[in-house]
Amino acid sequence: MEINRLSLRDVVKTFELPTISPEAPVLEAINKMLEAKCYTILVPRAGPHDAYGILTKRDIISKVIAEGKDPAKAKVKEFMSKPLVLLTNLSLDLRWVANAMANSRVSTIAVFEKGDFYGYVTESCVIDGIYHAMRRAKIEEGVEFVSC
Amino acid sequence: MELRDIVSGSRPVRIPPDATVADALVAMAENRTDFVIVDRTGIDDAYGIIFRWDIVVGPIADGATLSKLPALSCARKPVVVMHNLDLDIRWVAKKMANENVSKIMVFEGENFLGSVSDIDILKAVAAAGSGNDKQEGS
Repeated sequence: MEINRLSLRDVVKTFELPTISPEAPVLEAINKMLEAKCYTILVPRAGPHDAYGILTKRDIISKVIAEGKDPAKAKVKEFMSKPLVLLTNLSLDLRWVANAMANSRVSTIAVFEKGDFYGYVTESCVIDGIYHAMRRAKIEEGVEFVSC
Repeated sequence: MELRDIVSGSRPVRIPPDATVADALVAMAENRTDFVIVDRTGIDDAYGIIFRWDIVVGPIADGATLSKLPALSCARKPVVVMHNLDLDIRWVAKKMANENVSKIMVFEGENFLGSVSDIDILKAVAAAGSGNDKQEGS
């Protein structure tokens, strides 16, 4: 299976992430994550000269709960990552998307096109993208696709 | 809240020790899970675990041929386990942070009880309505 035929454009998710105010308590972020079944939350910027932030379940587990902090009192802005890790080239080979995640140690990367928010890509997008490419390749070969 | 309150009894998806990375990826995608357990070869061997993250930042980032690469090449082995069911979930979270994992297998003695994930912890915290502002070691 040639995964180098896949590009960022093939796997990026274009719907928007849930958002939360930087002043909100972490508990509100947890509730939003569970409600949306999306474990990454975008923190909007204050203006054009500000940067977007991001809060993930890993941030909450390792920086809030593991440290014994109270999620009802801890604020999102204290634990979010800012600025976002970004990619802007939608034609980028999937291998380099994976490298960007590895190099930055993040599992969610925001994707911008021509200066505007386009979507985001996660490790799940990469795995699902390759899985579907494998299925397509097997179907084209006329081979029944059987998992292990 | 304690570990016993959040442990899930569902059986994890398992792949054989001679499986390839492609097998692991397919097993994850088809079972909608973010990890698989790699079986041990015998009683003196350890179980391994592969997360989506391990496949993405390892073989995919390296441009490897997934159908030829052994799954064990990117597995974490042995799996991270916990035995103390009375442990406060704060320390479960701390264990995940220390070991850099999002799933922990739970045993009671020799018996496999299930697994606990970072999402299980978030659900417990949300249900409790607040965290546990406790002192270290309390």
